[in-house]
Amino acid sequence: MASATTSRFSRSALIKLAVGLVLVGGLFAVPRYVSSPYALHIMILIFLSTIMGESWNILGGYTGQYSVGHAAYFGVGAYTTVMLMQFRQVPPWIGVWAGIAAVLVVALIIGSICFRLRGPYFVLASIAVAEIMRLSATNLDKFTKGAEGILATEIPVFIIGEHVVTDFLTKVPFYYIGLSLALLTIAVTWAVQHSKLGYYFQAIREDQDAAHSLGINIPLYKNIGLAISATLTALAGSFYAIYVGFVDPSTVLSLDLSVQIVLVCIIGGIGTIYGPVVGALALVPLSEALRSNAIAEGLFKSGIVDPASATGTFLKENLAHAHVLIYGILVVLVILFMPEGLLGFLRKLGARLKQGRA
Amino acid sequence: MAILEISHVSKFFGGLAANSDVSFTMEAGMIMGLIGPNGAGKTTLFNCITGYYPPSKGEIIFKGRRMNGLQPDKVCKLGMVRTWQKVRPLAKLSVVDNVMVGALCRTNSLKVARAIALEQIEVVGLSHKTDFLAGSLPIGERKKLEVARVLATKPELLLLDEVMGGLNPAESEEIVRLILDIKARGVSQMVIEHDMKTIMRISDRIVVLNSGEKLTEGSPEEVVHNQAVIDAYLGESHA
Repeated sequence: MASATTSRFSRSALIKLAVGLVLVGGLFAVPRYVSSPYALHIMILIFLSTIMGESWNILGGYTGQYSVGHAAYFGVGAYTTVMLMQFRQVPPWIGVWAGIAAVLVVALIIGSICFRLRGPYFVLASIAVAEIMRLSATNLDKFTKGAEGILATEIPVFIIGEHVVTDFLTKVPFYYIGLSLALLTIAVTWAVQHSKLGYYFQAIREDQDAAHSLGINIPLYKNIGLAISATLTALAGSFYAIYVGFVDPSTVLSLDLSVQIVLVCIIGGIGTIYGPVVGALALVPLSEALRSNAIAEGLFKSGIVDPASATGTFLKENLAHAHVLIYGILVVLVILFMPEGLLGFLRKLGARLKQGRA
Repeated sequence: MAILEISHVSKFFGGLAANSDVSFTMEAGMIMGLIGPNGAGKTTLFNCITGYYPPSKGEIIFKGRRMNGLQPDKVCKLGMVRTWQKVRPLAKLSVVDNVMVGALCRTNSLKVARAIALEQIEVVGLSHKTDFLAGSLPIGERKKLEVARVLATKPELLLLDEVMGGLNPAESEEIVRLILDIKARGVSQMVIEHDMKTIMRISDRIVVLNSGEKLTEGSPEEVVHNQAVIDAYLGESHA
């Protein structure tokens, strides 16, 4: 971290910058060459996971406060944007600011209560608060339409002056929004890591009492971490709501979602800038492959298993339903054998290869 | 000028008095030794002084300002900072990053903080370990890191809680030199230490605690010859 700042203009840094720019440029060019809506959909899901993972990472990875209630911020962002659009005809690009404001209020309340707790007690409190939000959204059905959810039918056309920027009818605008938001969250994380905030967050993570004695105002910095994290999560929620066009408590406010957000980080590599990106790249295609039964199809096509055999029928019928199970097993394996996540594992592997060559 | 005044400080945990009615005054620039048998309330007193516990009774005055109820971070900003008996390195950060966390107390610039940190790392003699992870250091170097980190906060009063505990004689000697060096820079220090020879050598004045109360106070000479102190340490049969 610190050594990177001293050698800011070294050759390897320049190479990294160049590779990064080419990658980003390539990503912006993708919709010109890829027309398959499904491929774009997968990319958008990867962006969404990246945004959620990076957001959580600031509070969980850097500050060490393991919130398992981030669905609260995601859901409040999503609901605020959709409700304003649907019931008050407020366009989402304005509604999202209201969503962020609402989330900041929620975060401030949650922070002032839950940050008195440490370790597992904080985790439990964060789950409890998210569950309260979910139950509220389910039961206040005059306000939120309850468990039925809200279908977004009124996404307005985005016009600047006379020029129609987009009508949101294809996946392309969502691709660009998702990519931009993902880059934004990565940039925010980079800025945090290379500032006083990053040092203070990590000091709190490593040893709260020591941090306190070194002049760090613990509640203040925890709340700053939460505010940044919650704001970015709200962006992810708003984006999701407009993209999918539907919100209900059991998706955008669920414990499942909270866990999903944490997993992106843990699998990818916690407390690192690119860990959540790696996590999203691994988890989204994996869960899609499992859900769409691509694994069984692959086994049949490659001739390893005969689709007509008993095993084949069994796999065809059950593998798709077992996707949660397989997903769970993989997660356990990664946690057991790659405690620093995929990114940490890849880095170690790279270092070992380099050593072998030298 | 008195830098720190402890007046009638008591700290109760339920019915147990960890400190009771402790009073003393510390002059600026001196090294004050704080000694006493195990359980005498030395660390509790440190915790009260630096804001980890509010004292149940009494007042703590630092540079003429009442400190009761101030949080540790405010106490640090005002120029008083402590180390921990059980060292607390920020294990996954490098040595220089650890010390930078302390330095950031006085600046918002990473560049300035890094310069301060490197300077303090040199003072404690850890320059060869600058980029090592704090968690990888052996105990002697962890203690030095602890001192570098608090020095980086630019304190006026340093409270050292057994910085020599668990060290071999050679390492202890280095810490002694470091403490005297810090004194030469004009920083006041209050030192908890178990090794009598060392504490007698470095202290300008010594306060002896026993069962939470102040037993006596005086120059090292006075303290070693005080009958009450000998009784407290060796038991009355030796008297």
